[in-house]
Amino acid sequence: MYRSFLSWRWMRTRKTNIIGVVGIAVGVGALIMILSIMTGFLEQSKKTLRGGLSDLSVEPLFLPLEGGELPPLDPRPVLEVVRADPRVEAACAQLVWYGIIGQGGGDAAISALRMSDATGSQSLSGVKLVGIDLADEYATTALRADLERAPRSGATRVVDPERPFAPPPGHEPVGRPLASVVVGEQLARAWNLRRGDVIEVVTGVPDAQDGDFQVQNRRFVVAGTFRSGENEMDLDRIYMERSELVDFLGSGRLYSQVLVKTRDYEQQGRALQSDLSARLSELGILRGLDAGEVRTWEDHRRSLLAAIKNERVLMGIMLSLVVLVAAFTIFAILSMMVTEKRRDIGILTALGATSGGVSQLFLLVAFWDALLGALFGAVLGVLGAIYIDAIEQWLSRVFGVQIFDRGVYIFDHIPSVVNPSWVALIVLGAFLCTLLFALVPAVRAGRLHPLDALRHE
Amino acid sequence: MADQSAYKAQPLLSARGVTRRFKVGDRVVEVLHGVDLELFDGELVALMGSSGAGKSTLIQVLGLLDAPDEGEVRYGSVSAWKEPPSERARLRNRAVGFVFQFFHLIPELDAVENVLLPAMIGSDPDLVERRKELRERARAMLVQFGLGDRLDHRPAQLSGGEKQRVAIARALLLDPKLVIADEPTGNLDSTTGAKVLDLLLEEQKKRSLTLLLVTHDERVAARCSRVVRMKDGHVVDPRG
Repeated sequence: MYRSFLSWRWMRTRKTNIIGVVGIAVGVGALIMILSIMTGFLEQSKKTLRGGLSDLSVEPLFLPLEGGELPPLDPRPVLEVVRADPRVEAACAQLVWYGIIGQGGGDAAISALRMSDATGSQSLSGVKLVGIDLADEYATTALRADLERAPRSGATRVVDPERPFAPPPGHEPVGRPLASVVVGEQLARAWNLRRGDVIEVVTGVPDAQDGDFQVQNRRFVVAGTFRSGENEMDLDRIYMERSELVDFLGSGRLYSQVLVKTRDYEQQGRALQSDLSARLSELGILRGLDAGEVRTWEDHRRSLLAAIKNERVLMGIMLSLVVLVAAFTIFAILSMMVTEKRRDIGILTALGATSGGVSQLFLLVAFWDALLGALFGAVLGVLGAIYIDAIEQWLSRVFGVQIFDRGVYIFDHIPSVVNPSWVALIVLGAFLCTLLFALVPAVRAGRLHPLDALRHE
Repeated sequence: MADQSAYKAQPLLSARGVTRRFKVGDRVVEVLHGVDLELFDGELVALMGSSGAGKSTLIQVLGLLDAPDEGEVRYGSVSAWKEPPSERARLRNRAVGFVFQFFHLIPELDAVENVLLPAMIGSDPDLVERRKELRERARAMLVQFGLGDRLDHRPAQLSGGEKQRVAIARALLLDPKLVIADEPTGNLDSTTGAKVLDLLLEEQKKRSLTLLLVTHDERVAARCSRVVRMKDGHVVDPRG
C-alpha cells in the first residue's frame, strides 16, 4: 500500500518527474500526430494518384499463344467473361494509340512556323488517341462527369454530353464530314482550340501484312473539351468513337484494353483480379496469371503508393526514437532519484520494507510517469492531428511565414487520419518501453544495502 | 526494573557470538568479535562505548539491517538471520522499532503519514483491517506528544525536537516489544534533548518496553536499569 501511496506522492512533489511526463507526452503526441498526417497524405494521394484509372483493367499482350494463334482481336469475348461476373458493375472496351497533332485548315501555316521553333514546347504535341464505346464508357468511367465539369478560362465543352461526338454546330465541312473528337482542356488551351476547330492527327501504324510502318493522317473537328483534374490526362488525351479510331488506324486491332468497374473494389478487387485472369487465360485470350495482363489501379501506381507507405514506415521508426529518448529520460530521472533517495530507501527497509517492495515503489514512480505521459501524449496527438489545419494557420499567422505551402500539393488542407488502433499501439508501446527502462534503476534500488543509506548523514 | 526471575525467563532478544567484518580496501577489519548480549522483557538498557567501539554495527545486526558474518540473533525462539528476507522484513516491521539520531523521516510525508508508515509498509492482514484505527492512533500519539498543531506539517517545517517526537511515535505505532534508539538526543540541543529523552523513557515505563539506548551520556546511563559497555568490538560486561 505504501508503494502506490508514496510513489504517487513522490510523483507529485518532485519536479523532475514532470520532465519525464512531458518528455513521454511530447514523444507520444508527435508520433501520433505525424503518423496521422502521413496516413492522411497517403489516403489523399491515393485518391489523387488514382485519377481516371478504373478499378481493374484487362490488357492482353496480343502475343501469339501456344498454338501460334493470336488472341481474338475483338473485345466481345473479354467483355462477355467480365460482365458475367456478379462482382462487376460495368465494363468497357478502349482502343488506345498515340499520335501527333498539328493544327489543320487555315492555321496550317502557323503550325508550320511553330514546328520550325525547335525549342518550343508547343510546336508539336504527342497525344493519346482513345477510342471509346460511349454508353459502356459512361457506365464504367468518369468521362461523363469530366465532360460536364465547369470549364476553366474560356474552354468550351461539348454541346450535348449525351451525344459528345455529334458534329459541333456551325461545322460546315467542305468535302467529306469530319469525325468529332473531344480533347483535354489543357491540350485545347495549349493549342488555343475552340469548338469547331479542325485538327490534324498524324500517327504511324505497323502494317499487319508486311510489318512496314505506315504513316496515317486524318483531320478531325473539335466538338468540345473535358477536364478530369488529372494533369496528364487533360494534357494529352483525345477521345473519339472506337469505330472511328479503328478505321483511322486500319491495323485490325479493335481494342487495346477492357476497363472494369467493380461493385466493391476494397473487398473484392484482388480476388476478382485473379479470377478474371484465370478465366480469360483458360479461354486463350490471356497468357496466364503471371503475365500481369489484368491489373488493379493500385498495380498501375504501385511504385508511387509504395513510396508513400515507405515514408510513413520510416517516419514511424524515426519518431519511435523520440519515444525511446523519452523512456531514457525516465531511466535517467529514476536513476537520479534512487541515488537521491538512498536514505529514504534505508528508512523504508528499517521499517519493514522488503527489497522487492522498494523495487516496486520505484517502478511505480515510472508507472505514473508513463501513464500520465502516454495519456497526455495521446490526447495531445489526437487533438493535434484533428486540428492540424487550424494550428498551422495560427502558427503561420503568428510567425508570418507559410509553413504548409498548399500550392505544392493538390489538396488545400493538411490531411490527417487518426487510426485508433495505432494510437492504442503507440500508447502501449511507450508505456511498456518506459517501464522496461525503469526496471534497471528500480532493481538497483531494491538491492541497495539499507545501511549504506542510514549510516551516513 | 528487571528482577532476578526475569533473567531466568527466555530473553526477548539474544545475540550469540556475533562477529562482523568489513573490507576496507584490501584489508579486512573485524568490528565485532563474537558479541553476546541478552535483552529481557521491559528492560531499559544503555549501550555505551567510545566511538568506533562497534555500537552502531551491533545495533544494526540486532535490528536486522546488517547480517553478521558469524553468530546468531534470536527474537524469542526465532533465529532471525536464518529466516528468509521477507520474514526478517516482517520482524523489522512488527517486532522492533527504531529511533535514529538523525530522525530519518520521509521529507515528502507529513507528520501523521510518517508515523503511519510502518502500518502502510506491513503486509500483515490485521494492519489492513486496522487502518482506520491506526490512523486515529497515530494522530492521538502526536497530540499526546505535544504535536497537535503540527499534524499535517512536513519534516522540513518541524524543529529537531518535533522531528524526533514524530520518529518516536513512528517507532511505537505498532507496539513492538523492543525499541532500539541510536543516540536519539545526539543531534538535539541539551534542553530539547532532555525533553525528548524524558518522553522516550516515560513511554518505555508506561508500555514496559525493552529499550536499547545507545548513548554517550553517563547521566542518561544512570537512569537505565543496566549499562552494557563496549570496547574494541567486545562487550565488556554483558550483564551490566
